[in-house]
Amino acid sequence: MSAQLDDPGTGEESTTTEPTTESVAVSDAELAAIFESEAMGYLDQLYGKALQMTRNPADAEDLVQETYTKAFAAFRSFEQGTNLRAWLFRILRNTYINSYRKAQRQPHSTSADELSDTQLLEVESRNPSGSRSAEIEALERIGDPQIIEAMNTLPEDFRTAVYLADVEGFSYKEIAEIMDTPVGTVMSRVHRGRKSLRSLLADYARADNGFEGAGPSSDEALGGGI
Amino acid sequence: MSCGKPHATPCTEVVASISAYIDGEVTAEQYQVITVHLSECPPCVHEEQAHRAVKGLVVRAFSRTKAPATLHARVRATFRSIDEQ
Repeated sequence: MSAQLDDPGTGEESTTTEPTTESVAVSDAELAAIFESEAMGYLDQLYGKALQMTRNPADAEDLVQETYTKAFAAFRSFEQGTNLRAWLFRILRNTYINSYRKAQRQPHSTSADELSDTQLLEVESRNPSGSRSAEIEALERIGDPQIIEAMNTLPEDFRTAVYLADVEGFSYKEIAEIMDTPVGTVMSRVHRGRKSLRSLLADYARADNGFEGAGPSSDEALGGGI
Repeated sequence: MSCGKPHATPCTEVVASISAYIDGEVTAEQYQVITVHLSECPPCVHEEQAHRAVKGLVVRAFSRTKAPATLHARVRATFRSIDEQ
């Protein structure tokens, strides 16, 4: 069950400074105190991601608790001075994938590969001329529940890459560590994830406005409204 | 999707890198190349703005989540009990 935790994935050259601390034996109590002071501050962030994954507050709480339990158990092998936040997110995601997702069978369990490039390219050709800023204005009027819904329809790999980059501000290199995948793959998932979101949100915006196409309809709406 | 003018870098390459550009994940050299391209290509600017808008929406939709106060206590209790074992 903790097999995924053996390699915290914080190796490579991610440490910017030489670890100068001599390896003095740390007592369990000291380690617990260090863990508490350093790791607990990420609880809200981890809960946010857990909620986004499980879509259920009770499951999200359980997932966060399990993540902290595993992280605490593995904390002695965690290399101090490396990226604790990324390490915690990695444990969170692995825990989710290993237990929750298997148990729950997500409704949208499409794999990343199933999202074809042609599907994703569609949005660019759909709006061939004019009204470019109209699309952006329409996007910005979309409400949070629809954003969340659109995110939920993305394959998990895409959704997580976008979430970690945008909401948590992780670098692609950190996301690569968390998702155990090359940086190039992260780059592609973030990009294709955003393209896919844009396409989905354009559909929502269209449905909300009940309009058929982008264009002068915004003027009509202004004239005819209120 | 091209503006029809010749560019040193094709639009397809710029659009393919636009997320990395927005996220500050391109090299200084790529950054320069894309910035120059954007200064002369409105359709690519539109792509950039749309991607920035999507990023902004995701940030807005998910950034307000706070864990319930009880979860903090519950988690602390969990690893303290482990520590005592």
